[in-house]
Amino acid sequence: MNNNVIIIGGGPCGLEASAQLHQMGYNVILVEREPQLGGHLAKWDRLFPEGIKAKEVLDQLIANINGVKYFLNTEVKSINQLDKEYNVILSNGITILATAVLMASGFDLFPAEKKEEYGYGIYDKVITNADLENYFNTGKDRRITAAPKRIGFVHCVGSRDEKAGNRYCSKVCCATAVKQACEAKEAFPDAEVFCFYMDLRMFGRGYEDLYLRAQKEYGVRFIRGRVSEVAEDINSQLIVKAEDTLSGKPIKVTLDLLVLMAGMTNCQAGVKVANMLSLKKDDDGFFTCKDSILHLQQSDKKGIFYAGACTGPKTLPDTLHEARAAAIAIHNYFKERK
Amino acid sequence: MRERIIGGYDHFVLPFMIGMIFILVYLLIAMIKVIMSLPASDRKKLALSLINPKIMYKNIRDIICDCLLHIKIFKRNLLLGYMHASIAFGWFMIIVIGHIEVMLFVPQRNGSLYYPLFYRFFVAEQNQTLKGAVFFFLMDFFLLVILSGIGLAMYKRIRSRALGMRRTTKPCFADRVALYCLWSIFPLRLLAEGFTAGISGGSFLTKPTNMLFASFLGNDMNIMPTWWAYSTVLGIFFLALPFSRYMHIPTEAFYIFLRNAGLKIHHPRKGVAEAEIYSCSSCGICLDACPMNVQKKNLPYSSVYFIRFQRRNNKKKINEIADKCLMCGKCVALCPVGVDSCGLKQAQRAVVNNTLPYDYKFLGTAGHTAAAPQNDDNGILYFAGCMTHLTPAIIKSMTKIFEAAGEKYLFADKDGGVCCGRPLMLAGKTEAAKEVIAKNTQNIMESGCKTVVLSCPICLKVLKEEYNLKGITLLHHTQYINNLIQQKRLVLNKSEESFVFHDPCELGRGCNIYNEPRNVLQSIGQLKKAGKEKKESICCGGSLGSLTLNYNDRVKITQESLNILTYNNPDKIVTACPLCLKTFSDQSARPVVDIAQTVAENICNGCIKQ
Amino acid sequence: MANFGYSLTKSSRIDLNNRNIEKWNRLVELEPDVLKCMACGSCTASCTAGKFTKTSLRSAILYLQNGQEKEALEYIQSCLLCGKCFMVCPRAINTRHLLLSISKIYSNR
Repeated sequence: MNNNVIIIGGGPCGLEASAQLHQMGYNVILVEREPQLGGHLAKWDRLFPEGIKAKEVLDQLIANINGVKYFLNTEVKSINQLDKEYNVILSNGITILATAVLMASGFDLFPAEKKEEYGYGIYDKVITNADLENYFNTGKDRRITAAPKRIGFVHCVGSRDEKAGNRYCSKVCCATAVKQACEAKEAFPDAEVFCFYMDLRMFGRGYEDLYLRAQKEYGVRFIRGRVSEVAEDINSQLIVKAEDTLSGKPIKVTLDLLVLMAGMTNCQAGVKVANMLSLKKDDDGFFTCKDSILHLQQSDKKGIFYAGACTGPKTLPDTLHEARAAAIAIHNYFKERK
Repeated sequence: MRERIIGGYDHFVLPFMIGMIFILVYLLIAMIKVIMSLPASDRKKLALSLINPKIMYKNIRDIICDCLLHIKIFKRNLLLGYMHASIAFGWFMIIVIGHIEVMLFVPQRNGSLYYPLFYRFFVAEQNQTLKGAVFFFLMDFFLLVILSGIGLAMYKRIRSRALGMRRTTKPCFADRVALYCLWSIFPLRLLAEGFTAGISGGSFLTKPTNMLFASFLGNDMNIMPTWWAYSTVLGIFFLALPFSRYMHIPTEAFYIFLRNAGLKIHHPRKGVAEAEIYSCSSCGICLDACPMNVQKKNLPYSSVYFIRFQRRNNKKKINEIADKCLMCGKCVALCPVGVDSCGLKQAQRAVVNNTLPYDYKFLGTAGHTAAAPQNDDNGILYFAGCMTHLTPAIIKSMTKIFEAAGEKYLFADKDGGVCCGRPLMLAGKTEAAKEVIAKNTQNIMESGCKTVVLSCPICLKVLKEEYNLKGITLLHHTQYINNLIQQKRLVLNKSEESFVFHDPCELGRGCNIYNEPRNVLQSIGQLKKAGKEKKESICCGGSLGSLTLNYNDRVKITQESLNILTYNNPDKIVTACPLCLKTFSDQSARPVVDIAQTVAENICNGCIKQ
Repeated sequence: MANFGYSLTKSSRIDLNNRNIEKWNRLVELEPDVLKCMACGSCTASCTAGKFTKTSLRSAILYLQNGQEKEALEYIQSCLLCGKCFMVCPRAINTRHLLLSISKIYSNR
C-alpha cells in the first residue's frame, strides 16, 4: 500500500489539510486548477469579525505546507477506483496512485446575474461582495467612480431562495455584509449605508459585537426586508424597492452603489471530479457526507474524504477545523488498512 | 333494378329505425336547447350568419375539410388523418350514393330513411347496365375505404404510436359500446351485402364475398340474420351516440355554424360551450400536447378529461382541472375540432371567482404615470408591463434601441403602472378586469400616441382582444424591431452566434406572431430549430394561467421545455416575454436572453444613415 | 366581588385565543403554501397595486395568523393578481392562488 494522499483544491482547506497530513508523514499531492494557491481567500481583503487581513492568513497557511508537492493550473482529468487505491490522471500528464483522496474543492459564488431583478451586469452601479473585496484590495473598480453617497447591501442573493435553486442559508454573507458595510463607511465616510436583510444570522463569537459596532460606530441602517426590484433613473442612480416589514410599508431609496451578497454553491469543477467517481449529492447540490454528525469527513466511498465548503456553506474557521478533522480521518483510514 | 320486397319493408329495419328516430329527436331537442340558451344578441348573429354568403361558404368549406376530410389531422400525421377521413368521408359517400341510387332506380322510395341504407336487400338485379355497375363499384370502393380505416383504428388501439400518438384517452362505458358497434357496422354490411349480392348484384368486393360464402355456407340461409345484425348494430350505435364520444359527429357540424358566426363562450356549460363540449371527439391529441403531462400524474388534468367531466357535470373535478390548466393554448391550437378548452376553463373560473369581492377605487385616483402628451401623430407609447420591471435588461435594451433608431417615445409605466388586466381575466375575475381595462384604455387614449409598443405578450394579447383602442396600432417589441430593421432605421451586426427562439404562448399561439422574431434573429446570427416550435412550442412553466400548479411541478415543465429548445445545441436561448425569460434563466445552464437584449448588443452604431 | 384593573376601552392586544382555527385549516388545505411565508416582504415591495394602496400579501398572512380577518382582507382587496409577487417570492409561494383562496374563505360573498 502506498503512502499517497491526493488533495483536490488548493484553497485554505486544501492547504491546511496538506500541512497536517504532510506533518503526519504522508506523501501529499495538492492539485489546484488556478494559477495561484488560496482559492477565494486570495481574492478577499479582510476577514470578519475583527478584520484580519486575508493575505496574512493565507501567507501563514502557505508557509505551513512547506515541502508538500503541489501542481498549479492543473485539473483532474480522470479518476478511477482500483482494487485498493485510486488512479488519478492529471491534466499535466502526471498519473498518481493514491490510497486516499480528499475533496477540498470548496464553493463557487452564486452568479448574481441570475437574479435578473437586481440588474447585476445590466446596471453600472450594481456589484457583488467579491467585487467589493477586490475593490478594497486593489482600490480599483470601473463601477465605483466618485465616492458614493448612498450604499446598499442586499443579503441572501441566491441563498434562501427556492427560485435560485438554493433553499439553504449561505451562513457567511450576513457577517460579511456587516463587515463590508463598516468598511464601506470607512472608505466613504460621507456615505449613508443600508443593509437589507431577511434575518440577521450573527451566530459566531464576536459577530454580534460586529453588528453592534456597525450600528453604533458606523451608523449603518438595517432594514428588515428583502429587495425585490431595482430600477435605474436617468442619472444611472439606482432606485431600490423593498418592504420595511417592521413598519409594514413598502419603501424605496435611491442609491449610488448596490452590493449583492452572493451566496455559496457547490464548486462546479469539484462536482465534475465527483461525477467521475459517482459521488452522491444532496438536492442542495453539495456532497453527501456518510452521516451528518459522526462522519462529516467521510463520503459513501472508501478512501474518499470531504472537507470544507464542498459539503455546505462554512466560515473560514469551520473550514480549517474540517481540514484538520479530515487529516485525522485519513490517518485513521491508513491505520485500519495496515 | 326492381323491388324485390313488396311494400319495401321488412321487420329487420326496426332496430335501425328506433335508433335513427331517437337520435334525430335527441339532436333536434339538443339543438333547440343550445340555441335557446344563447344570449339574444348571439341568436341574432347566428341568424344573420346563415344568410351571409361569405360565412355560409366558410361553413361548407369547414364542414368538408374538418368533419369529412379531417385535413388538420392529416397535417399532423398521415396515417391518423387517413384513419379519420376514411371512416368519415367513406360513410358520408355511402349515404349520399345510397340516396342517389334510390332516386335513380326506385324513385317511389324517395324520402325513406332506411331504404337507401338497406338498398341491396330490397332490390333485385334484372340486367346489368354500365350506370348500375358504376354505382356498385363506388359503393364497394367506399366500403373498402371505410374497412381499411376501421382496420387502422383497431391497430391504433394496440399500437397508438404507429399513428403518431404517444398517449390515448381511456374510453368510458358508452364509448366502448359505440366503439365496438362502429367497428362492427361495416364488416356486417359487407357480410349482409355479400350474402345478397347473388340477387341484388354487387361489385369487386361484394361479389367475390358472395361466391366465397356460397362455396361453403349457402347464402340464402344467412341473408336475414346478417341484415338483422347490421340493422341492430346501427340501432345500438345511434342509441349510445349521445352518451359517447361519437356525439362529436353531429355536434361538430353544428358547432362550425356557431363558431363561424363569431359567437363566444358566455357560460362554461351553456350555449356555445355546450356545443363545444359535445364536439370533442376524445381523440386525445391534447394528451400529448399538454406541457403538464411531462409528469404522468398530471394526465387526468388534460383537456379531454375536463370536457368529459363537463359532460357528466362533475363540479369538483371540473373546478380542479380548470384551476390547474396553464392556459398555454397548445391543446386548442392542435385540437382537430377547434374546441376552445381554455376559453371553457376561463369561463368556469369566472363562475367561481367573479363573485369574490375587490376594491379598485384607487384606480380613480391613480394619476397618470406619464407626462402630458408631447407627441406628434406617430408618437410611440412604450408599455413595458409589470413583469418587465423584474427583467431590467429588457427595458434597458429597449431604451437603447429607441435611441439608436432616433425614436421619440413616451414611457407609459416608467415608474410602474396599472396591470393590463389579463391576469385577472385568466383568473376568472372578468368583472374586475373591466375596471382595470377601462383605466388603462383611458390613459392610452389620453396620451395621444398612435402606436403602443409592448414588451410583454401577456399585455399585448389583452390589449388586442379586450381593449377598445380605435386607431391605435399595437406592436410587440419583436414586431417593432423587425419594422425598424426593414425600414433600415436599425442596422445590426451579424455574427456566427447561434440562437434558438422560444415562442412564448401569449405571443405565438396568443397573438399569432411567429415570423417577426425569427426574421430579427436571422439578421444577427444563425437561427437553429427547436425540437418543437411555433404552434407546438412548449410553455416555459411560468404561465400565469395556472392557479394551482405548484412550483416543483412548474420546474419539471421548465426543464422539459429547455430540453426541447436545446435540441440543436444553440449558443443562446432567445425569447420575447419577461415571464419566460425569468422562468428559464432560473433553470437553464445556457444563457437565456430577451430578443431586445440580443438586438441591443448587436446594434451597428456606425451603420445607420441619419 | 371587587373587579380590579382598567377596562374603559377594549384591549388593543391581539388575542390569539380568538383565532378561527377552522378557517385557517381550510386555507391551509386549499393552499398549503401559506405556511411557507418567511415574511421577507418581497411581495409587498414589488406589488403593482401597492404603489397606490396598502396591498400586502405578507401582512395579510400575518393578520390571518393573528385572527384579524377584517384587517387581513383590507390588505388584499385591491390586488390585481398580476403575479409579480409570485415571480419574486424566494419561497416560491403560489401567491395568486393563495390570494384567491383567502378571498374565498374569509370574505362574505
